[in-house]
Amino acid sequence: MALELFDPTGEPAPTGYTAAPRLTTLNGLKVGLFSNGKVNADKLLRYTAEVFEREARCHIVIDSGKRNASRIAEPRVLERIANDVDFLITAVGD
Amino acid sequence: MTNETHTLSDELSAIDYCYEQGWTDGLPVVPPARERVERFLMAAGRPPEEIVARHPATGRECSVQSAAVNAVMAGCLPQYFPTVLAALEGLNEDAYNFHGSTASTGGSAPVVIVSGDIRDEIGMNASVNVFGPGYRANATIGRAIRLVIMNIFQMIPGISDRSTTGWPGKYSCCIAENVLNSPWEPLHESLGFPPEVSTATVFAASGFYNVENHYTSDPERLLDTFADAMGSLGALTDGQSLVVMSPEHAQIAASGGMSKRDVQAYLFEHASRDPNEMLGKGKWPTGLDRDGLSEGERGHNRTMGRFHRGRSPDDILLVVAGGEAGGHSAFLPSWSRGRNSIYQTKAIGVCLDC
Repeated sequence: MALELFDPTGEPAPTGYTAAPRLTTLNGLKVGLFSNGKVNADKLLRYTAEVFEREARCHIVIDSGKRNASRIAEPRVLERIANDVDFLITAVGD
Repeated sequence: MTNETHTLSDELSAIDYCYEQGWTDGLPVVPPARERVERFLMAAGRPPEEIVARHPATGRECSVQSAAVNAVMAGCLPQYFPTVLAALEGLNEDAYNFHGSTASTGGSAPVVIVSGDIRDEIGMNASVNVFGPGYRANATIGRAIRLVIMNIFQMIPGISDRSTTGWPGKYSCCIAENVLNSPWEPLHESLGFPPEVSTATVFAASGFYNVENHYTSDPERLLDTFADAMGSLGALTDGQSLVVMSPEHAQIAASGGMSKRDVQAYLFEHASRDPNEMLGKGKWPTGLDRDGLSEGERGHNRTMGRFHRGRSPDDILLVVAGGEAGGHSAFLPSWSRGRNSIYQTKAIGVCLDC
């Protein structure tokens, strides 16, 4: 006899999220940096940012990070960053 | 019912299908067939669509029904399900920090500690081999929590679960309190719950230390052994502690008249080290990297001269469990090195606030 199984992954993931449009150029764009707040994430971000500044004349307009590495980034902080930058670079230290 | 369904020819095919879908912890699961899930929903007596936990980063939600599907897969019996739900409600509390504790390199397991009469009603083991195998309720309640974390919340080892080593408790870690052989009041009463209510406490533990002392009958010498383990360099942070004291050790600790509260205070006082040693051994960052210190590491703990395990005696969760013979107990450090995971306790099968 056939067996009907329930999918254990539950309800579909929440909708309402859409990917940002792909960038067509990097030249002169505003960049945000966002670390997870742990040791060396900031160093990796600065090193990476220098490449974008040098190669594509990007402008670093936000250099920030999570206040608590063990917690999710605060949504209101992410919303503010999204309004102020063309793209965001994140780094995870541990 | 909102979960998607899949049709398989028989039970063995269904077990293989669950493997193929990535729905297991590496061990075979019981196929979550409709009639099995329905028996769990009957046992819970709660609406299937009720949300019991929500992932703070992704917004994914765990309904009563989805939890039932995973509890079936774990091998639970329907009568275990209210305990699974209570544990999930504990995980869902912000202070427990379910996301961080399941994603972190620290690799915690949610230890479930059951206190109250439900322990006997559902056949839980509180005695010999309490953390070990052999008891369906213990093994499957803990496993159900892990399957929910993996399947519903998608905390997948190697992808979103970044545990550096993990530990076997991540398969399942559920114990019951050995109240019959405890010199003190039950855990749920210590935490302010009525005697007739059973509870599930969840504690995000990063591992397991055996605390062995066979030869002293002096309470303070015995407790010094616990404090030494809790204050070891590898374990010492200002996070919380779970101390699972065997009946033999608990009887010795209580023999001089110490209450549970007295034991917590003694352990807090003695599980400590010189802060300079923490710095010298590289446990804390130095120089400009001092920002990496937790709030507690920067704060009042250091002004007391010694750096203590936890912030106060309340940060030591003391439970009596295990077999009646043997000078072995356990210390389980919190995954969090600071305040990022605080243990939570929920009533099982009743709503005290409703």
